[in-house]
Amino acid sequence: MISNFKKLFSYRELLFSLTKKELKVKYRGSVLGFLWSLLNPILTMLVYTFVFSIILRAGIKEFAIFLICALLPFNFLSNSVNYGTGSIISNSNLVNKIYFPREILPLSIVLANLFNFLLELVALFIALAVLGYKFYLFLYILPVLIFIQFFLVVGMTLLVSALNVFFRDLQHLITIIMMVWFFGTPIIYPLQMVPERFQFIIKLNPMTVYAAYYRNIFYYIKYPENAGFPGTMETLIALGITLLIFFIGYFVFKKLEPRFAEEI
Amino acid sequence: MIRKGNGYIRKKNKDYKDDAAIDIRSVSKRYRIYHEKIPSLKNTILRRKRTTFEEFMALDDVSFTVDHGQTLGIIGPNGSGKSTLLKLMARILQPTSGKVIVNGSLSALLELGAGFHPDLTGRENIYINAAILGMKKRDVDKRMDGIIEFSELAKFIDTPVKNYSSGMYMRLGFSVAINVNPDILLVDEVLTVGDQAFQAKCYKVIYDFMKKGKTIIIVSHDLDTISDLCSKVIFLKDGKIVDMGKPINMVVEYRAYIEELEKKRIIEQQRSERKKIFKTIIERNRKIVNGEEIAKLADSGVGGETIKRFGSGDAEIQSIKLLDSNGKDIDFCEYGDDVKIVYEVLFKERIEEPVFGIRLKDFRGNTVYGTNTRLNNIKTGTFEKGDLIKVVFRQKIPLIGGEYLVSSAVAYKDNITYCDWVNDMFTINVINRKTAEGVVDLNPSIAIKK
Repeated sequence: MISNFKKLFSYRELLFSLTKKELKVKYRGSVLGFLWSLLNPILTMLVYTFVFSIILRAGIKEFAIFLICALLPFNFLSNSVNYGTGSIISNSNLVNKIYFPREILPLSIVLANLFNFLLELVALFIALAVLGYKFYLFLYILPVLIFIQFFLVVGMTLLVSALNVFFRDLQHLITIIMMVWFFGTPIIYPLQMVPERFQFIIKLNPMTVYAAYYRNIFYYIKYPENAGFPGTMETLIALGITLLIFFIGYFVFKKLEPRFAEEI
Repeated sequence: MIRKGNGYIRKKNKDYKDDAAIDIRSVSKRYRIYHEKIPSLKNTILRRKRTTFEEFMALDDVSFTVDHGQTLGIIGPNGSGKSTLLKLMARILQPTSGKVIVNGSLSALLELGAGFHPDLTGRENIYINAAILGMKKRDVDKRMDGIIEFSELAKFIDTPVKNYSSGMYMRLGFSVAINVNPDILLVDEVLTVGDQAFQAKCYKVIYDFMKKGKTIIIVSHDLDTISDLCSKVIFLKDGKIVDMGKPINMVVEYRAYIEELEKKRIIEQQRSERKKIFKTIIERNRKIVNGEEIAKLADSGVGGETIKRFGSGDAEIQSIKLLDSNGKDIDFCEYGDDVKIVYEVLFKERIEEPVFGIRLKDFRGNTVYGTNTRLNNIKTGTFEKGDLIKVVFRQKIPLIGGEYLVSSAVAYKDNITYCDWVNDMFTINVINRKTAEGVVDLNPSIAIKK
């Protein structure tokens, strides 16, 4: 495994080059390329805010901020997984003709989405500052949090991109799974709303814990009455599951990698 | 560094010069060909396992070495395993058994412009393509001008490559690829890029590479390229090495094999075509005509449509074949050969003194030769209803190489009305001996005198 990381490191230029290409292609053709990419989370936010604070009247203060703090990190996961699923197949011409560590393909998708996520966070900081949130107080936790979530995202993306080579219909399934995962994570609702008997399942979802941390840093700083969910135990379980998913993803990918060129 | 497992070993220590550049040790590669089109989760779950598959040996126990500085050519028919072999060396595939040992850095030109993205400019794609081929960014920066100049695309380098022609695309791909500076270069049929001038440049690059003592492995169908460039050639067929050695010998061997194959293919094709033609001819309703129409009808193709067969049907031509002088069935003959054109005739009525004839036409439809029993003053006698006879034309064939169509006919004794006339019933292939052109070989002996 260590030798694999060394190899990956020696191919870092390719990884960055493909990540850059990913971003360039995404933002090409429009001057406001990046602003367009912000449009999606903003629109999602507006729709949910309308539904939950105007129609359903969930009674959450500044619902838009409540939502977006958890939505952005989840989008980082779901976009990476959704786009990463087909990353090996759609690059069949490369996989078939040139040798390089194949994990670079899904990794470049994850990195591009990470970059996007970071830009979105910067936009969020501006919004928070305008609205008078003291988001900077616990900002030092953020890099650690993103780093840990990164492993979860990489593990999932590696897993689905490798499996997709052998099961082409996985793509459709993934879209549904990510939707279930979205609603299974307290993003549009607070964890306290979940009935007691379901809470332990929801808490097993590492994204629940990470979303709560993001929310603690950004949102509950202004409304601390509901803060404080992720205890040490829950955090450790989330870490454990994250590492498990990362290693499963990594080993499944490495196991299947030699057959990619034949199967594509 | 030596990596173990997967049957692929790559050495990077500096003392490798003693070893071969590439060492292929009894390598086999087996593919599974699934009968199912696209693998899917649904099918896997529903049927528990993937449907039937066939195993296909793309490479079967292949061993050879390539020395440093050597240029190796690999030739062989399609599906012989050439590309699989290259992909194994490039570690895109892993051998089913055996070992692939590579000493030194390796770059594979299996596809030009791999990873080009249509929306990005030529310059941007150079960076990506070069990174894919293993180049460092600072090296690309250093060579950027050279790459652009070589590609002759300076004017378009900041245009998205989707606006490039396929030739420009390939040229850019090649320009990047040759600027990667590996110890070992694998080349698969990519030397046919661009126009003549650009190709000449490509060859020069390859020659320069050779001069620098790099190891090159070329797969190509272009045998001239192979014999020009290579110092050693492997002739691969059905995943096995048929022979390996000097380029001249291998190319000759391969050419012979190809010619043999081509002959077989033509024979097979003509057999089936002949069967088809003959069947349609026999089954077609025949036309009864008088003498005036014959000239018209005998020339196939008149009025747009070929009349394949006409006549009263009192006698029927049953079959036709070509025999050599020993009476053996043949499909080819050579200039000057003695052959027999034989056809069978079945009489449906009693006919007195029929006239039997043949005609040879070239592929343009010009009559090259025609003769019959009347012209040769042969009395044929009288045939009763039910008689089955053979008509044998013993011929010399002093024709230039090519295909000649044989028509055969049985006429009444007036030689104006016909019992049966079949156009283009049969093709004779004459092997070209390349000493003359036209239709007929007048067998020259040429002298130049002062």
